[in-house]
Amino acid sequence: MQYNGAAVIAMAGKDCIAIASDRRYGLRNQTIGCEMQKTFQINDTTFVGLTGLMSDAQTLEQKFRFRTNMYRLREERDMSPRVFSNMVSSLLYEKRFGPYFCEPVIAGLENGKPYLCGMDLLGAQVYTDDFILAGDCTEAMYGLCESMYRPDLEPDELFELVSQCLLSGVDRDCLAGWGCTVHVLTPQGVTTRHLKGRMD
Amino acid sequence: MRRSSGDKLRDALGLGGFSFDNARRNQVLALKGHMIPKARKTGTTIVGVIYEGGVVLGADTRATEGDTVADKNCEKIHYIADNIWCCGAGTSADTESTTALISSQLELHRMSTGKQPRVVTACTMLKRMLFRYQGHVSAALVLGGVDCTGPSLYTVYPHGSTDSLPYVTMGSGSLAAMAVFESEYKSKMTLEEAKALVHAAIMAGINNDLGSGGSVDMMVINKDGNTPLRNYDRPNLRKFRQDYIFPRGTATILSEKFTPLSSLVTIETETSAMQVS
Amino acid sequence: MDFDRSRFVDRELLDPARVMEGAHGGYGRSHGGIHVENGTDNSLDFLKNPVDLGTSIMAVAFKGGVILGADSRTSTGVYIANRVSDKVTSVDEKIYVCRSGSAADTQAISDYVTYYLDMHRTQYGKPPKVQTAASYFRELCYHNKNNLTAGIIVAGWDAAKGGQVFSIPVGGALLERPYAIGGSGSTYIYGFCDAYFKPGMTREQCEEFVAKALSHAMARDGSSGGVIRMAIIDENGVERKFIPGNKLPYGPL
Repeated sequence: MQYNGAAVIAMAGKDCIAIASDRRYGLRNQTIGCEMQKTFQINDTTFVGLTGLMSDAQTLEQKFRFRTNMYRLREERDMSPRVFSNMVSSLLYEKRFGPYFCEPVIAGLENGKPYLCGMDLLGAQVYTDDFILAGDCTEAMYGLCESMYRPDLEPDELFELVSQCLLSGVDRDCLAGWGCTVHVLTPQGVTTRHLKGRMD
Repeated sequence: MRRSSGDKLRDALGLGGFSFDNARRNQVLALKGHMIPKARKTGTTIVGVIYEGGVVLGADTRATEGDTVADKNCEKIHYIADNIWCCGAGTSADTESTTALISSQLELHRMSTGKQPRVVTACTMLKRMLFRYQGHVSAALVLGGVDCTGPSLYTVYPHGSTDSLPYVTMGSGSLAAMAVFESEYKSKMTLEEAKALVHAAIMAGINNDLGSGGSVDMMVINKDGNTPLRNYDRPNLRKFRQDYIFPRGTATILSEKFTPLSSLVTIETETSAMQVS
Repeated sequence: MDFDRSRFVDRELLDPARVMEGAHGGYGRSHGGIHVENGTDNSLDFLKNPVDLGTSIMAVAFKGGVILGADSRTSTGVYIANRVSDKVTSVDEKIYVCRSGSAADTQAISDYVTYYLDMHRTQYGKPPKVQTAASYFRELCYHNKNNLTAGIIVAGWDAAKGGQVFSIPVGGALLERPYAIGGSGSTYIYGFCDAYFKPGMTREQCEEFVAKALSHAMARDGSSGGVIRMAIIDENGVERKFIPGNKLPYGPL
């Protein structure tokens, strides 16, 4: 949906994942801010990135929070990424005939192994073992990801790859960019980095 | 907020079902000329064949979003029961959730009857659900399985009509696949012949239909159980890939923060013994 | 509870066993959100068309029984989804129907009537009359006429009146006829049937009438074709017959 503008990318490495997004918030061609959060940490092992209509993305993020918190209260454990993405899928499909304009990307570590899942706005899941893209400039990013991706990258190498794929993608997109946030999730913890990007 | 009679009916009966809360808003947004995101579809080739003693189902593995290939290796042969599987074409979300819903209802039915579910039962449940939604749930299915009556094969159309035939195709590649079936099919094939035929039909879809592509998935079902043949053939694997790693420090980092996992953090609290003086 | 009893879907949800009760007036088109994935980017759009029984069907009553006949073509747009379909469907032991219109609608209606006739038979302890079956069909077709595309010919044998033929065209009227034709192919053979049919034909003559009429309809109508399937019903039961596509009695009489 080309309204607010967003680009999200998630990639799998060796026992680690990276998920990154741009930081722009705009209304079509007018830029409002450049500190928009589009990737959210759900729990220790799960991240979700949300693209599309940002009002729907924020509504959904709150719904996710509510459901994951209730799950933790009832079950005394966290949702695994797989459980989380099934929850997101059914939440989206309930609105099959009046959907949220939002395409989520879910990335996490399921039993220590990378788990990636992409979804369309109706909740149709796509699982891959390499990378998932969402947002306005997926065409620009697909090419670089397809040619540069390599399995079993170390966290630092994965970070550089994700950064380059995202940066070159948003440089070809008027609606996304203005800096990036990259999270790298390893079994030890999360490294969050803000990247310098073109501000035009 | 005014709610539709359908929503109230749903609540009154305590049923789940679809929510139309955003429907009006989305209609307004669409009228204002906003680009509405496209749902993912499976421009698809799915097929099924009955052979002597069982059923072979086949599917390609391409999922598309507009003209973009959204997934090069998706799974289109869905689980209904151990002896019943279902290939889906149409809107991905619809095929996935429709088959999952019927699968769960059929499992409950199996538990209450204590018998192996029959293919015709799954077929009836699917057609009733799809008819109720009058084609708005766009799932075109090839349903196959083996039960106490032997092997059976059905096609289920989005509006809820069904056909039972010895060889069937569905999806945008159905024409290419049916051309193969019409020229090569014969009754009472062996398993190997059936597998070769399904493979040829899916390849016809992959190569001649733009909406289909990727690899060939198959599922063999007979009285001994099911044999999934995921990625039976992968004619379109990437052969050349750049082996380059960006050197560390390529991207300019403005800030960096490391947060250890909460489960690895121990919170130490200082306690001092109560002192009585 | 606020729901619309005139809507088939609401009744179906509420009480599937009694969908045809309480349908009085007020035919609203079903609502729904926008249909998201409707793109116009696909030249194979015809595959999304509802499955349609572009059809030639007919039924003739003779002394002591009836014959039903139909072609075997089921199409989605210009693609033949099933070239050997059976449009002569059983709803009871000695009551069959020929279906034309939307495949989904007519299959659903037939399933309902099969169920009603089963209940009827259980409650009264004897086989239902053809008239009863036809009335059930009429009720469903008439009360849901805004949501259905179904032209149906009901025919069968019962002890009270022998072989009978009822026609229920789109809209839900119920007409008893000595013979009935229906479907898109029937328009080509009205004249033929007027000229050929005479009251009091024997079973063999009626069989030939059905085969000849359908062959000519199938030859002229693009959405009819394939083979001819027939059901001959009399006191002793049902006999199914089949004429392959290369043995159709088409041509001068």
